[in-house]
Amino acid sequence: MGFMGYEIVKLESVCYSYPRNKDHVLYNINLSVKKGEFIVIIGENGSGKTTLCKCLNGIIPHSERGRFRGRVLIDSMDTRSAYLSEIAKKVGIVLEDPESQLFTTTVFNEVAFGPENLNLPVEEIKATVKWVLEAVGLKGLENRSPATLSGGQKQRLALASVLAMKPAVMVLDEPTSQLDPLGTEEFFSIIEELKGRFGMTIIMATHKTDEVLPLADRICVLHRGRILACDKPEIVFSTVDLLEKIKIPVPTCFSLSNYLKDKGGLNINSFATPEEAEEEIRVLLNHQEKY
Amino acid sequence: MALPTSYIPRDSIIHKLDPRIKLVIIVCITLLVFITTKFLPIGILFFSLLVLWKISGIPLKRILSYLRVLVFLFLLLIIMQAVFYPGEKVLLEPLIPEAVPLVGGKGNITLEGVLFGLLLCLRVLTLMCIFPVLLATTTLEKITLAMVKLGLPYRVAFTATTAINQLPVLQSEAGVIMDAQKLRGFMVFETGRFLSKIKALHVLVVPLVMGSMRRASMMGIAMDSRAFGAFKKRTFVDEINIERRDRIALAVFSLFTGVILFFSF
Repeated sequence: MGFMGYEIVKLESVCYSYPRNKDHVLYNINLSVKKGEFIVIIGENGSGKTTLCKCLNGIIPHSERGRFRGRVLIDSMDTRSAYLSEIAKKVGIVLEDPESQLFTTTVFNEVAFGPENLNLPVEEIKATVKWVLEAVGLKGLENRSPATLSGGQKQRLALASVLAMKPAVMVLDEPTSQLDPLGTEEFFSIIEELKGRFGMTIIMATHKTDEVLPLADRICVLHRGRILACDKPEIVFSTVDLLEKIKIPVPTCFSLSNYLKDKGGLNINSFATPEEAEEEIRVLLNHQEKY
Repeated sequence: MALPTSYIPRDSIIHKLDPRIKLVIIVCITLLVFITTKFLPIGILFFSLLVLWKISGIPLKRILSYLRVLVFLFLLLIIMQAVFYPGEKVLLEPLIPEAVPLVGGKGNITLEGVLFGLLLCLRVLTLMCIFPVLLATTTLEKITLAMVKLGLPYRVAFTATTAINQLPVLQSEAGVIMDAQKLRGFMVFETGRFLSKIKALHVLVVPLVMGSMRRASMMGIAMDSRAFGAFKKRTFVDEINIERRDRIALAVFSLFTGVILFFSF
């Protein structure tokens, strides 16, 4: 696992508003992400998640016009002055809609497209494609046309095609929006592997707080373009009232533990996973038996 | 539905040919269709293309769907040529009475005119049969590579092949839009008359164009984030090599061209 510590992504008072609209989509965003960290951005629809993701690899301000202020530093490279293709070598982004991200005729060529652009040797590209397709579970579909894949396979292919560039930072904008619960679980286990085995820095915007919870190092709550909180999951999710007010689903275990503590008056620690819940209940039972 | 642009995975001899050779042959056949003005060479060309279709694995039934699309154009071509082509053998008397000033007495329907009309139709049909041979037997990546090796800049080649690749997407999107409209009670495309269908076309075209523009910009983003154009040089995983069979194919085709030209003049 890569050493944690140095800041690979740094946003300094980033403000952004789309053209012909004065309202800020992002307002004074300050965020630094350490190498190897897994940051999850949550927020209701229209809170600026996608816009924030686009700022991270220079699509904003390069491809999308609008008013952009502040700085985004990727590995101390300013996204405003660097070329998009230069940023692409460091930051990979998977967007929500997989269809428009797939534009070649076979799964193999789709994954090879990025490394080909980086002018890597053919043998290396072939090895990378093989590895990546295996990692996302699309092995054996090399010659299929991306158009004939299912929604979930397309999303995994979109991930694979970005993964093949071996970026240091992976930005995922609701990558599981078209997956069923099982597919989502699979997808997150891929992400877990990327984080665990390769120490990849991951920034993911998602609605699915339940699945993401055990993996996330920090949760960033985005509301109307502002970061309301950015901290460890247990701290962020203990502010249930706030989250419910801005319509963010609190993970099931958390809402249960918070309910038991606040409304039930039980003296327990917060738990985030079923395993932790079991432990807390056992402690509680032992406690009862003693008296 | 399979579009005329879709690749058919097979292992035929045409699939194996170098795409550069295929490109050259296809451009030559197109030129031949333009320079020949006789039935026999066009007939030979048309028949040879059908043979190529068979080998490539393109269903010959597809010709019928072409005919369905083109039937109006063909009728128009034949009628126009029949009326205005100068000819000797009159099949029908002038359509316009002698009494009409200026154009009176014109408009004999002649045998030569009808034949010329038919010839034009066959030429159009032959032209339409050419490109499917390339597209059914060559992946777009290989066509891109062939264009690059023939000297086109990668950006241009990529744009051209991606446009072809997007046709099926566009078609399915049009289908989705039409279905959505039908489900909300918009009946014109099902029951309307020809003219009202044309009038209602904007209802389909506007969302289609807007959707494509949105998708194009998304695709641009996806390409940028995969380092499109990062270096002047770029790797191609696909390999194309001119081999013995390509030389033989070229030789056979040169002979074929000679025969066509012989019958053309």
